[in-house]
This record gives sequence, C-alpha cells and structure tokens, in this order.
Amino acid sequence: MKFFKLFIPIFISVFLIISDHKFSYVDNLRLSIATLISPIYLVVNLPAALHTWINEQGTSKEILLNQNKQLTNELIELKTKLQIHNALLLENKKLTKLLGASYSIKSQKFKMARISSISQSRLKKQIIINKGSDNGLKVGQVALGTKGIVGQITQVTPLYSTVLMVTDPTQHVPVKNERNGVRGISKGLASKKGKLIVNFIEPGADIELGDIFLSSNIGSKFPQGYPLGKVIHVETHKNEPFLHIQLMPTQDSKQMEFVLIGDSN
Amino acid sequence: MKIQRPYVFLIKITIFSMIMSALPLPQLLLELSPFWVLLFYIYWLGYSAANGRFFIALVLGVLIDILQGSILGQNALALIFSSAFISNVQQSFFVSNLSTQQVYVFVASSIYLAVILLIHVLIQGFSFSYYLLLAPLSSALFWPIVRLLLLKFRH
Repeated sequence: MKFFKLFIPIFISVFLIISDHKFSYVDNLRLSIATLISPIYLVVNLPAALHTWINEQGTSKEILLNQNKQLTNELIELKTKLQIHNALLLENKKLTKLLGASYSIKSQKFKMARISSISQSRLKKQIIINKGSDNGLKVGQVALGTKGIVGQITQVTPLYSTVLMVTDPTQHVPVKNERNGVRGISKGLASKKGKLIVNFIEPGADIELGDIFLSSNIGSKFPQGYPLGKVIHVETHKNEPFLHIQLMPTQDSKQMEFVLIGDSN
Repeated sequence: MKIQRPYVFLIKITIFSMIMSALPLPQLLLELSPFWVLLFYIYWLGYSAANGRFFIALVLGVLIDILQGSILGQNALALIFSSAFISNVQQSFFVSNLSTQQVYVFVASSIYLAVILLIHVLIQGFSFSYYLLLAPLSSALFWPIVRLLLLKFRH
C-alpha cells in the first residue's frame, strides 16, 4: 500500500513531464493554474511598484520639463530618420512590383509592456512582463528592446506573460551576419552569463570581431532584421566542423524597463 | 498558545514558499538560493501526520513548475523523491540535533537537485551553470533560520 502511495504520484509526475514536453495535452491545465496563481507576481512586484510610484510622485516640475524637452528632441530626430525609412519602404515596394516578386515587408503594430521581474527560475533565463491575454498577448509573440531582440513569449496569463530570453540556452534564434549575410543559429551560453554562441558556421566563413548578427526569419519564429549580438570572440578548433563564435547581446536586459511586443513574422 | 491546523498551516506555507520562489534575484543569487519549497515542506512533514503527503508534494511541485515556467512535473517529481527520503528518516530526523538535521536537509536537497538536473539534461541537454550545485549547501545552511521562522509562524 505504501508503495502505491509513492508510486502513483511518481507516475502522475512522469506523465506530466512527457505530456508537457512532447504533446500539448496539459496546456489548458497549465494556463488555468497559472491564472490562479498570478496574484503571486502581484505580491512579489509590490515593493518595486511602490518604489516606481514614489519616484513618480516625487518628480519635480523642472525635471519633467527637462525630460519633456529631451524627449521632444529625440522624437524630431526619430521622425527625420523615419522619413528615410519610409522612402526606402516605398522604393522596395516599387522594385518588388517591377520584379513581380511575392516578398514584401509587413508593417507591424507593437504593444508596450513594463518588465515586472527578471529570472525567477534557476534553469531558464526569462522575464515577466505586466501585460497578458487581457491585452491581447499570445504565446509565440516576440519581445523587442530599443537595441534588439529580447525574447519570445512562452506563457500567458490574463495579467502577466513570461518571456524566454534569447540568452537562454534552449532558445535557438536563426541569425545572419549584417555585413555579408552568413547564416547560423544562435543560442544562450549557460556557463557565461548573458552571452550567446552562434553555431553551424563553417571555418572558412568571413566573420570578424565587431560584426553584428541580425535575426533572420527562417522558420518564422522571429522577425528578420533586428540586432541580436555583436561578435566578441571567434575561434577555429581543429577537428571540429564549425567555428566557435561568441556574441555579446546588443540589448542589455539589466537596464531594461520596457519591452515592445510584436508578432513573430 | 494556539497551534494552527496542519492544512491551514500548509496553505500558508505554500503561499509563502511560492512568494519566496518567485522573488526576482540576480542570476547568481538565484542559482545559489535554497530550495525554499523543499525546506518548508520538510518542516511541514514533521509537523503533520496527515496522509497523502506524496500527493501534496505533487501538487506543490506542479505549482512551483507553473510559477517558474519549468516543464510540468519537474519540481513535482523532485519534491516527491525528496519527501520520500525525509519520510524514511522522519523518526530520527525530528529528534536529531540541528547539525544532523542539516545533513539530512543537504541529502534531501541533493536528491531534489539531482532529479531536476536529470530531467533538464534529458530534455534540454547539458546546459546549466555549475553554481547550481551549491544550492543543496545553501539549503542546509538556511535550514535553522527556516525552522526558527516557521516555529514562530506556527503559533
């Protein structure tokens, strides 16, 4: 009897592990329980929310005016850059039409979310954002920072979402070199905090220190053209078919406060 | 002094251990931090003679899995094996002195970590930080504090 008391929970656990890893049988169960326990995040984030609120209340008029002036300047600068971007888009459309190609750049709408917490799991690098299914967020959407890709949404509750970061060792991102288009697959490095490696690039390929790797939309998991990392180390190992390339992510997660959520393609 | 009912106490420590497990910490501290849910559950095992302790371990583990976005059942299986070990040594555990209890907690935490890492390696490959291996040690070191806190919290 004692054996069964132990054996049945073990059997259920193993069943859950296999179901969760291989199939999607327990997705609804996960979502229901995640919704039920989401107030935990509210409690955990209470001190940080209080700190933000106090900071906001204590901001003087002068600081706000200065900030407003600075943001207006930045907005003008960005609008000017956007004009060039729009001209390029128009040109691209015309050329695509002339060539009769089906490829086109899709315009995207983004939603902004505040980061509630970073890394509450030992084996995963992830962040919690303060928007969820109530705001129209879905699993698979991509989180972007001002300097590049942050990660992809893996779990959604009505109030919060979990984003698996690109620096997680299980997060594989198709990438290409900005300079020459050499393609590879990047993933996080577990041993070196916050760094990435690029796999499947042959030793003869032209990769230099300082090269920027951008996301590529092979597999349609991530949108193409967003910066992912800068090359900080390239090494050729004898008897190994691929180069060892290390990247420093362009987006530093420690200093982020907000992320933009967009569709993967 | 009034002592709380086992299940009321269990609900309270479940919420408390979930808050502790969800606290945002720097990556290094997070990897070194104790297995809070295991420590609280070990304390509850000694406090209660309730049936279905492995089922409770399963439910607690599933809650932690969902909270941390882990594979469903990973923490649950680890908690079941660890609580099976503590149940086996229960009689000697709760009459032992503090340092012997710390050794038992270290072994239970090592079982917990071994199960978690085994599942992680089998499913996602050999990709984890070695600082994680120090978590059983920190669990053992934090045991006296947890025991003292929960003793006060119980009344």
